[in-house]
Amino acid sequence: MNRVKAKEYASKALFAAAAIVCIVAVVAIFVFIVIRSIPALSKIGFFNFVFGDVWNPDRYDEYVTDPLAGRYGILTMIVGSIFSTVGALIIGGILGFFTAVFLARFCGPRVKRVFGAVINLLAGIPSVIYGFFGMAVIIPLFANISPTGDGAGLLVTSLVLGIMILPTVVALTKNGLEAVPQELYEGARALGATHEQAVFKTVVPAAKSSIVAALILGVGRAIGETMAVIMIAGNSPEIPGGLFGSFRTMTANIVLEMGYAGEVQMGALLATGVILLVFIAIINLLFGLVISGGKKNKGGKKLSLGVTMPKWLNFSAIGKVVSWVCAVFVAVFLVLIIGYIVIRGLPHITGDLLFKNYHYGGEPALLPAIVSTLLLIVVSIVIAVPLGIATAIFLNEYTKKGSKFVRIIRSSIDVLSGIPSIVYGLFGMLTFVVWFGGSSSILAGGFTISIMLLPTVIRSTEESLKAVPDSFREGSFALGAGKVRTIFKIVLPSALPGILSAVILAIGRVVSETAPLMYTMGSVLQPMPDGFLGSGATLAVALYALAGEYKYMDEAYATACVLMVLVLILNFFAGFIGKRLGKKFQGENNAVRKTKKQSKQSSED
Amino acid sequence: MLFGKRKNKASSLPKTEPQETAEGVVAETAAEELSYDGGITVKEANLHYGDFHALKNISIEIPEHRITAFIGPSGCGKSTFLKCFNRMNDLVAGCKVEGEFTIGNVNIYGNIDVNELRKNVGMVFQKPNPFPMSVYDNIVYGPRTFGIKKRAALDEIVERSLKQAAMWDELKDRLNKSALGLSGGQQQRLCIARALAVDPKIILMDEPTSALDPISTGKIEDLCMELKNDVTVVIVTHNMQQAARISDKTAFFLLGDLIEYGETDQIFDRPKDKKTEEYITGRFG
Ligand SMILES: Nc1ncnc2c1ncn2[C@@H]1O[C@H](COP(=O)(O)OP(=O)(O)OP(=O)(O)O)[C@@H](O)[C@H]1O
Ligand SMILES: [Mg+2]
Repeated sequence: MNRVKAKEYASKALFAAAAIVCIVAVVAIFVFIVIRSIPALSKIGFFNFVFGDVWNPDRYDEYVTDPLAGRYGILTMIVGSIFSTVGALIIGGILGFFTAVFLARFCGPRVKRVFGAVINLLAGIPSVIYGFFGMAVIIPLFANISPTGDGAGLLVTSLVLGIMILPTVVALTKNGLEAVPQELYEGARALGATHEQAVFKTVVPAAKSSIVAALILGVGRAIGETMAVIMIAGNSPEIPGGLFGSFRTMTANIVLEMGYAGEVQMGALLATGVILLVFIAIINLLFGLVISGGKKNKGGKKLSLGVTMPKWLNFSAIGKVVSWVCAVFVAVFLVLIIGYIVIRGLPHITGDLLFKNYHYGGEPALLPAIVSTLLLIVVSIVIAVPLGIATAIFLNEYTKKGSKFVRIIRSSIDVLSGIPSIVYGLFGMLTFVVWFGGSSSILAGGFTISIMLLPTVIRSTEESLKAVPDSFREGSFALGAGKVRTIFKIVLPSALPGILSAVILAIGRVVSETAPLMYTMGSVLQPMPDGFLGSGATLAVALYALAGEYKYMDEAYATACVLMVLVLILNFFAGFIGKRLGKKFQGENNAVRKTKKQSKQSSED
Repeated sequence: MLFGKRKNKASSLPKTEPQETAEGVVAETAAEELSYDGGITVKEANLHYGDFHALKNISIEIPEHRITAFIGPSGCGKSTFLKCFNRMNDLVAGCKVEGEFTIGNVNIYGNIDVNELRKNVGMVFQKPNPFPMSVYDNIVYGPRTFGIKKRAALDEIVERSLKQAAMWDELKDRLNKSALGLSGGQQQRLCIARALAVDPKIILMDEPTSALDPISTGKIEDLCMELKNDVTVVIVTHNMQQAARISDKTAFFLLGDLIEYGETDQIFDRPKDKKTEEYITGRFG
């Protein structure tokens, strides 16, 4: 019997160890990035760095006698990040808010379901495809109205980022609006308000805190976005002069120069990452404040942030029309982006492109990229899925909500999910690339992206563990089974569809990500990778590389088409499999709710 | 250290590991062979959920191979008391049990293996909870837990338990079908068969028929009468007729107190306590 007991403790220790990996990852990321940036910062001077408006790094700073021949001021990029984020907030915020109002209050259940799926698609499209679409389609359009004749810059970046943050804004706002008690709405109607008036004057203000939280989360996404931005912003390190002014964001700065940075320059790029993290931290802090504030005054009647509805919103009827227009715009944009890429790409997907090996200087061929992508999927799934599932098991099956240890783990997971992908790229370059032999490799890319995947895998696994009725666990315990047996024989098999869908979603992420892989795994088209220690570009990276060469636009469209269809299929399957879980336990829902109520009671006592 | 700390403040159901030992109880001497054969003896049991005193100073002797019914209004502690006998309360946050609980010659809150206790003291829940697997796998779940691996042995167990639960003829051709496809009544009897598969000495039933139709209820009542030849049955029920029909002894609980305990005939025909009479007549009338 002692063996059983030993097994119980060993398993618990293993699950806890997996959870601790999340804490270690957060600490390591901060330590590496911050510590490695300190020498450069102390040479440049913190003030010069943050408030200097000239960025003119000396690439050869290792060789010249004066290590500070270059100038390292990132003020223009801080401003660039802020401008583009505000632009994205204006476009994505307004579109997202009204689309959410439309979905929550102005459409039938069927439209809502279809539209929800559409928004999910939007969320799944890789950022490199948004960037590509912006570069290949929107910029040429804007060139016609731009005074300089160049369509790149602030406006197109804001538009694309706005569309990219839209799913986040819509989802959270919609949830907030739907959570407003129906009595409030009915109360307004009983006083003679029209449907529109009740929605805009009663329901929307009551959901204010979730709306603000949605916008803040959108800001977090926009400021961390990298790939889409470098393809459309123009990238010159200056303050954007108008809507069509070229500019560079902090994320773009990192990814543009980290490939060839000298010592001080590398430090300065890391320091850029630190400043970016500071911004993210502030955003998360605001988010936390709004959420907890919203909870305190139930519905957020009094919000200290001073966000008030614009006056013209009082014309509720106009609000309704705007909601319709925004929703239609979003739908059209999605159809446009998918349709256009398919139409332009499909004819150029040829056997030669897909199934031929590539050699330097030859015509583009994607077979190495496809193989690299598959190898990367293998590495990252092998690492992230067991770790993520073990962590989720630890959190959901072994621990108590309030404990300090659990709170630390949970906040680590939150932090991990908020870190911009390019910062993972920096971290991977400093650690995994070095550890695996000093040059980019699929293994290094896989480790890097695995950490990124952890929050997603953990959260969705936890969701599906929560959906397993407690009565199953009770039944197993009552038959004399221990904890470990209950988990492996009863809980995990029941949660399998949900976990599978989490794995598929994770694969989708691996396929879509670009920024963290550029300098950990490979950034240019390459011949067949040399096994896991060889380097290689994934399909997404290949798209970025091809888009950079105007000669191969057709091939780029074809690659974009393949990539997009692949991701959409993966997301579709993830959703499909996930839904089966719900069906399986439909009869058990009451049991779940009852036990939840009981445990709530017990915690109140 | 991390783990040791959390162990004391167990978490909400069922998210902590079963606690292996209860504190402050003298360990059993190893020399004596542990046996769960025999009745249940409880002396001065008290149970707290946090600050809430859910069971107050309860002493009772439950005879073996009899059906004992627990009755009483909602929230009086019947389920709580029942769950003391297989220590399912260990899984509840902030639940503290005091007093002496003996089954056979085992002090069940002493230094014992909880899983072994639960093997000997099976439980059937209010809502049927078959696992989402085949009928066969449901039944052999317990035996497999305790190391029985041979197919022939498992086959035998399945047949014996299903026969014991009077559903062999009904299910023998559907052993490989999912248990979730059975009707509610069948699911509940399957859960009884599942509990029987590990050869328990006692079966605890917490309102096993309250979610079932009258015909299924009848089948389960018949089954209980059969079972008492092999096991001791303790059943919680809201249904007075059911208690009167099937039980040999009845215990009436009110607000955490054991008000009256005796032969079922006596409790229903000549209750000694005023409160028992009020409760019973209130329900009958
Ligand atoms: N996990 C718990 N935490 C705190 N209090 C609890 C818990 N479980 C039960 N209680 C309380 O203990 C008391 C007895 O509960 P119990 O479930 O044993 O009653 P019962 O007699 O079985 O009632 P019912 O007939 O409704 O099943 C009730 O007041 C209940 O609120
Ligand atoms: Mg009960």
